[in-house]
Formats: sequence, structure tokens, C-alpha cells
Amino acid sequence: MYKYIIRRLLVFIPMIFLLTIIIFALATAAPGDPLTGKKVDPSISPEVYEQQREELGLNDPLPVQYFNWISSFAQGDFGESMFYNGRSVESLIGARLLNTVYLGLFAFAITLLVAIPLGIYSAKKPYSLLDYGGTAFGFIGLAIPNFFFGLIAIYVFSITFGWFPAQGTTSDPNLTGAAALLDRLHHMVLPGLTLALAGTATYMRYMRSEALDVLGSDYIRTAKAKGMSERSIVFKHTLRNALIPIITLTGYEFGVLLGGAVITEQVFNYPGLGTLFIDSITNRDYPVIMAINLLLGVTVLFGNLLADILYSVADPRIRYD
Amino acid sequence: MFMKNRKKALSVLLLAIVLILAACSDSAGDENSNQEKNEPVGDPQEGGTVTGALNTAPGGQFNPIFAVDLYEETILEFTHESLVKQNESLEFIPSLAKEWEMNEDQTQVTFHLEEGVTWHDGEEFTADDVVFTYQTMSDPDYISAGGFRTLYVEPLLGYEAYNSGETDEFQGVVADDEYTVTFHFAEPEITPLYMASYPIIPQHVFENIAVSDMPGSPESLEAGSIIGTGPFKFANISDREQYTLERHEAYWQGKPYLDQVVWRIVESSVMIGLLENGDIDFTARPNGIPPADFDTVSTYNHMELVEQTDFSYQVLGFKMNHRTADDVNDQVINPDNWIENEKLADQNIRQAIAYAINREGFVQGLLYGKGDVINSPIAQQHWASDESATADYSYDPGKAMEMLDEAGYVDQDGDGLRETPNGDEWVLNLKYPTGNQLRERSAPLIAQQLEEVGIGVDLKQPKEMTAFLNEMDQDNDDTDLYLIGWGLETADPDPTELWSIHSPWNYSRWNNEESEALITAARTAPDALDQAYRKEVYAEWQRVYSEDLPALLLYVEPALWTYNSRINGVEVLPHTLLDNSHLWWVNNAQ
Repeated sequence: MYKYIIRRLLVFIPMIFLLTIIIFALATAAPGDPLTGKKVDPSISPEVYEQQREELGLNDPLPVQYFNWISSFAQGDFGESMFYNGRSVESLIGARLLNTVYLGLFAFAITLLVAIPLGIYSAKKPYSLLDYGGTAFGFIGLAIPNFFFGLIAIYVFSITFGWFPAQGTTSDPNLTGAAALLDRLHHMVLPGLTLALAGTATYMRYMRSEALDVLGSDYIRTAKAKGMSERSIVFKHTLRNALIPIITLTGYEFGVLLGGAVITEQVFNYPGLGTLFIDSITNRDYPVIMAINLLLGVTVLFGNLLADILYSVADPRIRYD
Repeated sequence: MFMKNRKKALSVLLLAIVLILAACSDSAGDENSNQEKNEPVGDPQEGGTVTGALNTAPGGQFNPIFAVDLYEETILEFTHESLVKQNESLEFIPSLAKEWEMNEDQTQVTFHLEEGVTWHDGEEFTADDVVFTYQTMSDPDYISAGGFRTLYVEPLLGYEAYNSGETDEFQGVVADDEYTVTFHFAEPEITPLYMASYPIIPQHVFENIAVSDMPGSPESLEAGSIIGTGPFKFANISDREQYTLERHEAYWQGKPYLDQVVWRIVESSVMIGLLENGDIDFTARPNGIPPADFDTVSTYNHMELVEQTDFSYQVLGFKMNHRTADDVNDQVINPDNWIENEKLADQNIRQAIAYAINREGFVQGLLYGKGDVINSPIAQQHWASDESATADYSYDPGKAMEMLDEAGYVDQDGDGLRETPNGDEWVLNLKYPTGNQLRERSAPLIAQQLEEVGIGVDLKQPKEMTAFLNEMDQDNDDTDLYLIGWGLETADPDPTELWSIHSPWNYSRWNNEESEALITAARTAPDALDQAYRKEVYAEWQRVYSEDLPALLLYVEPALWTYNSRINGVEVLPHTLLDNSHLWWVNNAQ
């Protein structure tokens, strides 16, 4: 097992290297550069831009630019933003990464806590009222666009009832301790629910169909015939076997967790990685694009590794060596 | 100057949704209208917090000489000050400088500074700070450190020599004594006060920091370390979310009444709701209320509305010339090499297009009757603006068709579209960027209106702003018509930057010697030292512009600002709502 993990980790290195080349090629292939977007202020003379372009190394051949980037990256330096004057990539990503992780985990927890029980129950009692309700919820959840649900949530729960804050992550940056944590959670409720909606619907549908499959299989019938308790059948046999596809999904979800909340972040003006990512792409802020992409790439790789490891936990027959 | 409205395209969609939601919520509006309007009562009270909204996060660079975006500049209006500022007629009036005198040919201005002005950290503001600010902006390392504002220092005496590192002696701005400072210009300067209007940074804070390290230093980025002389200072920065400013107790014009001013970054589509429930107190330049929401906000009794003309316009540009591929490569702007765009070479054709477009319809339909149709490319708030010098291109499709017929552009093959006089196909490519919802909506309407008079238009897919600008920069392509918006300088009406032959932002590649001679004359001393002379020259220039028509001015978007009526002492100026914020106070402050 350990050997397997180490082997997988070693494979990551060339993959990440390849990833950086692809991202760099794509980022620089987009029309314009970090100064094109800034070059909208006619009171600034064109020579100033030219001088800054030179200074940022944007006039160097692409391989040179790539080499410069990778060599400072290899020394653990993500560099400076080319768009936001004086801001290091680290300072831009820093706080936002945490915000995104909190929000992602919060939403993911909601997803699992709602989807798995609901899915199993639907499978246990197919075509019951709750099953139909769950199915309806699933389709609606998938069909409603994130931003629409988000805006309705803001309108109803924030503006009309005033129960939850509509925007941001905190109401008073000076709070500390438990008060700060509560304030944060309070701000996370609406974006968290919005983000969790589509995920919950997907997971629930997966869980239901998987559990239905398992419930119809021979070994469950055998277990029933042996007189095993309902509880035991559901938790020991059904749940465990039905979890495999959920684990696969979770592995992928890891990357999405970091970068996929763009729209939700925007609606709730939640300062996370997603909006920064989109902004950096429109601004052609190469160092930031590279850093975030790399972060996403690494997370997806680790997510998949984690999923592979979890397979063997859920199903002891799966062994790696 | 700057380009406006680079908002995220998504907001557009969100906005539409909120409008639908808002339409379903009349009951909420009624509750508000029952509230008593807060009248200013009694004397100003101390204390309280007001919250302003921005729809886009500032980049985070809060050193005014390195700040780039409008959002940074907006927040800096509370924290930093300059020698002079502008009043309601856009004239320069004293700020940190209480008075000044100029020599005869305007090569020197001597400013007498206010005494007893203290920085946020308690140090005293002196003439040395002024020298330091302008010296830093002239530094050889300033541009490579990321500085853009060389416009303010280029006219100074000895700038070239100092900037190129030939000399260490900075002659441009000299401290005569602690409270007197003189600006020396290399040539007679037409707009000396404009040049002296840049926000001042503290010498004692920055003197030991190399210019190249300044933008990345805590003194430029972090609350508590950013020091200005303004009525408020940074207390907390939650990056991209919330910017808290607190009162500068020792402010030289008197202790500000408010405890705090908070800037929050708010999604545009949610802002109206937050104005309604009082979470947000004010919004002004560069954001304001979308025209579509103006009527909704006007039903909120607790909000004061401000409706003004913005310093900007949207244009339909006519690509009159293209640069050659070689020139684009070498980044040369040489009109001798330009290739004429035959499709739009005829002045009559451009005028006919102008008559074919229903600009008043755009104002009524897209801007809900807010905003203006203009014919002069000089902001109408400026003394130099003269609409009477311009031709009036009111909507007149009949006249447009007549002019096209006369020019020989008639439909020869019966497909409903006109051909060139030689009988060749004549289709104009219209390109435009995404980002401004109204502009995006105007593009297909323009194409439709042109087709109604028989002009074939190929409406290209809109491009994201950066890609679009890149295309405009590298203009050896097939663009004929383009849409773009320009923000205009509030300090001076000089149109050189947008319409001079040599300006890269003259996207039309308008090559008109007469225009060039006029805008140069309006900036050349000694005649141009006289404003009446400049006014005359600009009137003539506006006539030339409007006749030759390198771009049709479509409309001016309105500046729709609002603030909660619990805030007293707000002064509305054409260019800002945030002046004299030390005089703001709120009713029932705790």
C-alpha cells in the first residue's frame, strides 16, 4: 500500500511538469497580455506600457518566459501578480484559498449528510412519497442554475427576512474567537446551501440507483434469508457496497471544490479562489493563472489518489501493491 | 481617462433576474414609503458608520502614485489629498495648498501650503513631502516598479535628465521653505494646476524604501501602514471584501464627525436590495445605480438620488485607416503608411450612417430616458464644450438614404442592400466587446438600423474586452465599425489622447491635418495660456470633428448616484460625491 502511494506520488511530478507547460501555452496563447487590459487609460503614454512590458519580461520569447517562471517556482516562489501592482501571488491566493476550502467543505458536508440518507431511503422504499419527493428535488436541484437559486436565497432569506447576511464572509473583521467563527458560519449558510444544491441532487441520484442495485443483489437476499436485521443489511452491506461510485465522485469533486464555485462566489461576493481565477484569466495575469491552475491540478491528483485509497477501505477486496 | 464598465458579463444576467424579483416585490417598497423621511435636525453629531458599495474589488494597491484602478482611487479619496482639488465648476481650488501664484509665462507656480497639517501617524506635512512625491514619480525606477502616472511629471523642468539618471538633481519641484513649494516647468504649462493635483505621499514613511520596492511594501498595501493626510485612514482591509476606514482625529480641517466609513464589495444585482434594507448607505462613481433600477430606488424614501451626466461617452467608431502589418509589429504610428479603408473613406457615407442611427431611441429604450445624446466629443461639463459648433445628426433615415444615393451607393442587384458605386459588394464589419450590457444590446440594433437604410452589416461575435482591445491595438484587420466607451478626464478638456493622429487610442486612425493643427494650437503657449483662445480653437475643432466624423457619439450614460438621507453634509460635485467627507454626519449616531 505504501509503496503504491509513493509510486503514485512520484508519477505526479512529471504530470505536474507537463501540466505547467500546457497551462502556460494556453494562457499565453490568449490574445493580449497583462498590460492590454490596463492599456485603456489614454492619459498614460504608450512608452510607459512598453517599458513595463520589457520589465515584466513579456517581450522575451515564450520558452524564456516559461523557464523564468518555472525556475522561480522551483524555488518556491509564485512570483508577483502582473496585473495587481505590488501584490504577490501568495498574498492574493492566501486568504482566498482558505475561504474557498471552508466554503467547499461546508457545502460538501451538507451534500453528504443530505444525499446519502435520502438516497438510501429512496432505494429502500422506491416509489414512495419520499422517493418521488427526493426525485423531484433531485431534478429541480440539477435544473436550477446556481446563480438563480443564490439570488432567490438572498432575496428571501437576506433581504426580505434578514436572517442571513447576503454578501461576504464577515460582518466585522475585528471579531475574534468563537464570535468570529459563528459570524463566519452565519455568512456561509446561504452560499453553502447554494453550492450544495446541485451536488446533493447528483449524489442522491447516484446513491439511490446504486443502493437499488445492491438491494436487488443475491447477497442481500441471502442476508435477508439468514434473518439479518434490516439495520445491519442497510448499513453493513448496502451502504458499503453502494459507496464506491460516491467515492469516485468525491475524488473529482476535490478539484471542483476549489475552482468550481465561481458563480456562487460571485453572487454572494464571497472572496474565494474562483472569482480570482476568472479575474486573472480576463486580466491575463499569467503568474496567478499558473499558480491557481497548479493548485487545482495538484488537488485533483490528490483527490483521485485519495479516492483510490478509500476504495480499499470501503471494499477490502480491492488491494494495491 | 479610462475605459468604463468592465463589469463581469455575468452581472448582466444576474441583473435581469433581480429585476424580475424586484418586480414581484412591490409590497416591500410600500413599507419603505411609509417611513418618515429623515430631515437633518439640529447640529452635527459625532459618531456613526456609513457604508459605501463598490461592485468590483480594488486591486489592493493603496499608494496613490502606484494605484491603477478606479476602485483604488475611489477609496483613496478619503485617505489622501493633493495640493489643489476641483469645485463644482471644475475649477481648481485650494486643498493642501492655501494659495498660489504663477509667473507671467506659466513656467513656475509657487504654492503656499496649509500649516499644521498632520499625517495619519502624527508627523507634520511639509513642502518636502510634495517634492518627494513628484521626485519619486520622476525616478528612473518609477515606471519599471509599476508606476503609470508620468503624465504629471513629464512637463517638469529637467524631467528627462533626472528620469534617465543623467543627474541626481531634481529641479522640477523645489521646496522654498517648509511651507512653500515651487513647480518649475520646462515649457510654459497650459494646465499647471492639473499637473499639481496629484495626491501627496509622506516622505518620512517612504524615504528609506527603494522606489522599486515601494509597490510591494506594507506602506502601500496594509491597513495601519498606509499613511495619508485625508480625513479617514485605513483601519482594516479584508482583501476583496471590505475596507474599513476610521476617522483621522487630528485632521487639519477639523475632526471628522463619522467614526468609520466602510467600503463593501457588493455584487451589482444584489446592491439595490441592500440599498433598500439599509445595509448600504451610498454608491457613487465609478458605480452608481443602473438606469433600469433608477425608478425603483426613487421609491425608497430613505434614499437621496443624484442624477448627473457622466464624464464618458459611447461611440460607434468608423475605421478610416488601417495600419500595415509591419507598423503594427514595430509599434509605429505613422500616418504616411496607413492604408485607407475604402469602405468608409467618403465623408458623406459616415454622415449618412450617423443619420441612420436612432440615438434618441437608445437613450429612451436602453437608458430609460436617462443620459444624453451628444454631438461634441468634449465632455459637456467642460467650459470648452460647444454643441452649437457641431452638426446635429438627429435620426433621419430618409436623409441617410438620400445621401447614400447621391454618393452612388445604390442597390444594383436587387438584394435590398446597397453596393459600392463600382457595383462591388459593400458589407461593413461591426465589432464590439462584451462587458457593458447596454453597449452589447445596442450593437444588433445598430446593425438593424443600418440595414433598414440598405447598408449591409456583418455583426461579428462580441469579444471579451482584453481580446477586443488587442484587436484594436493591432489594427491591420477587417474592422469597419467598432463600439467602445471612453471615460473622460475631469481636469481638462484636451482631446489629444483620444483623437490625435499619433495617439494609439485613435482607433479610427483618423488622419485629419486640420484637427491635428487645432488640438496642437490649443495646447501651445503663449496663446493657449488664455482660456478664451482655447475655447475658440476647441469650438473650431469640434466643428471639424463633427463634419469629418471619425466616430459617431452614441450617448452619454448617466451618473446615477444615491445616498441614504440619514447622512448629512454630503456635497454633490460633478466628478465626485466624496469631497469634504469630514463634514458628513449621521442622525441618531451611537
